Amino acid sequence: MVKHILISDPTLRDGNHAVAHQLSAEQIAIYAKAADEAGVPIVEVGHGNGLGASSMQVGLSLVDDVTMLETARNNLTKSKLGIHVIPGFATIKRDLIRALEIGVDVVRVASHCTEADITQRHLGFVREKGKEAYGVLMMSHMASASTLVEEAQKMELYGAEGIIIMDSAGAYLPADVAEKISALVNGLKVPVGFHAHNNLGMAIANSIAAIESGAKILDGTARGFGAGAGNAQLEVLIAVLERMGYITGIDLYKMLDASDIAEREVMPSIPTIKSESIVSGLSGVFSGFAKHVNRISKEYEVDQRDVYKELGKRRVVGGQEDLIIEVVMDLVRRRK
Amino acid sequence: MIKLITEDCKKSCKNSVLFSMLKDQTILITGGTGFMGKWLAEMISYINDKENFNIQLILLARDIKKFEKEMSHLADRPYIRLLRQDVRNVHDLPVEINYIIHAAGTPDNREHVSQPILTIETFYKGTQAILDAASRLPDLKKIVHISSHLVYGEWDSEDNISEKFSGKVGISSINNVYAESKRIAETLCLAYRNQFKLPISIVRPFAFVGPYHDLEKPWAINNFIRDGILGGAIRILGNGSTVRSYLYGSDMAYWILVTLLKGQIGEIYNLGSSEAVSLNDLAKKIQTMINPNLEILSKSSKENYTNLSRLVPDTTKIVKALNVEETYQINDSINRTIVWNQLKGINKNNITK
Repeated sequence: MVKHILISDPTLRDGNHAVAHQLSAEQIAIYAKAADEAGVPIVEVGHGNGLGASSMQVGLSLVDDVTMLETARNNLTKSKLGIHVIPGFATIKRDLIRALEIGVDVVRVASHCTEADITQRHLGFVREKGKEAYGVLMMSHMASASTLVEEAQKMELYGAEGIIIMDSAGAYLPADVAEKISALVNGLKVPVGFHAHNNLGMAIANSIAAIESGAKILDGTARGFGAGAGNAQLEVLIAVLERMGYITGIDLYKMLDASDIAEREVMPSIPTIKSESIVSGLSGVFSGFAKHVNRISKEYEVDQRDVYKELGKRRVVGGQEDLIIEVVMDLVRRRK
Repeated sequence: MIKLITEDCKKSCKNSVLFSMLKDQTILITGGTGFMGKWLAEMISYINDKENFNIQLILLARDIKKFEKEMSHLADRPYIRLLRQDVRNVHDLPVEINYIIHAAGTPDNREHVSQPILTIETFYKGTQAILDAASRLPDLKKIVHISSHLVYGEWDSEDNISEKFSGKVGISSINNVYAESKRIAETLCLAYRNQFKLPISIVRPFAFVGPYHDLEKPWAINNFIRDGILGGAIRILGNGSTVRSYLYGSDMAYWILVTLLKGQIGEIYNLGSSEAVSLNDLAKKIQTMINPNLEILSKSSKENYTNLSRLVPDTTKIVKALNVEETYQINDSINRTIVWNQLKGINKNNITK
């Protein structure tokens, strides 16, 4: 039986992490248009940490949410416009209502993998307004399969039409993905998805492990443009899926064109697996920390790898960026 | 909107004279401001208006302001009193109470998984508090305890569920906190009837439909109607072959009040519709009624399901013993619910308001 895979492309959201949230409106317009022409089903746009996240703590965006979303909206005809929403960063009144008014079609409400409770109001609100709502469990490597199922079931009850687990740290191997996705497929009614990071070079392999375990939604970005070592490289993913007989609705040649355009117009450098990314992946640290760790480590002349190891020991999660400086200062003190 | 509700009460209330036994009597409804409480208040108001029985109603709930706002046409009726209290903290009840319908606690499963400990407390401590207080009432005549069909737990037959099925609930899933809480609440009723001779009947509600069911509640029929009214697509999440049944709100209220009068002490009655419908068929019905061009989408984690979820009550016992019947069939029930919500102002133009 032919199996359809729903592709969501966060090049213009996760990619924003890779440039410290400095994507311009022009860059958003260029890539959104190219992705739309390629037939990418969902194009996710925004600050790396999602709607309403632009701040001193996690980084200020070059352009505000409204400009980003309006720009993308004006350049998408077939593709749906998606956003990443972390309750706390994004409020319903201040951010979500306005985003829906701009014309957002798909809202992916995310929480740390053990805190699905915080997504209830946002998921409920999106469904109440007739829009597509998905639940996202971030840093999923930090929870067991059974805990992920319990948290995902909450999101399902809150109204999520699909649950995506994120390998936010790029820490998984295919067997880990298979175990967790299988448990979720068995425990949930709604489709399951996977969002990869490439710290250990496993993003494509892990994405394939996910669909072979029953996932129906995959995330991928042009050239893998995303936080840390980047995401699953979308054009490669589409090619592999085609070869395996899956249908995504995306035109491969046009996707290859879109990724060429993205490389030329959107990204200052293509994500690679740097030495510190490998340690970050092994330590299970949120990929969105990469820019901050790099900057602060250089400033205080400490080894980034030591910082990642210490952050991993402390089980730091997204939103705790302010702990990076604390860890660096500890390392400085120990050095003395 | 009120006219539609009054029409519903009139049609469902087959025998209003039956309630002469409640003349000048006082009924307490715990959880009195929820879907069930609102419909019971509507039905009693209809009976009072028609028969002049002066049935007194005390609605006990945590949030009475919401009731006053949403039910302003009833809130100032002289025979309705609102009592703001958490059911867990009830100690003394007004001494004039003659009848109790214990319906406190939300059936909203989002709350159960988000607040499992509060769920257990509400049904365990709340039920015990009410039964303790009831045991001290000087002229108590009857209690109807509202349980849940979820006490039956896993049901893997294609038959309708009879009250004789003793239930099979797994204890290792957080999703069963509500079911287990309802089971212990039923056991408490059994114990208080045995030890204190409290006159208790139990009803086990299945699914309902109708006005006063918030469309944001996480049940398929509500979501389908909401999706349809907002212009679609109607989204079926999970197995579309899942089978449920839906009793209309005014029928539900009438059946509960008849149980209050005629239900045998110690007996348990299923409360629901025996008209089974799959989610796929339900979505098609709603599509036909709202706009045949609406899209229907199925989203599911699996292609093939090994188990069919079928939760439909066998209502033979309540129909025969209490002489009640379903006034509204599924098509009428859905249609009236759609009309009521549209009259309430829900439409596709207020998506982002």
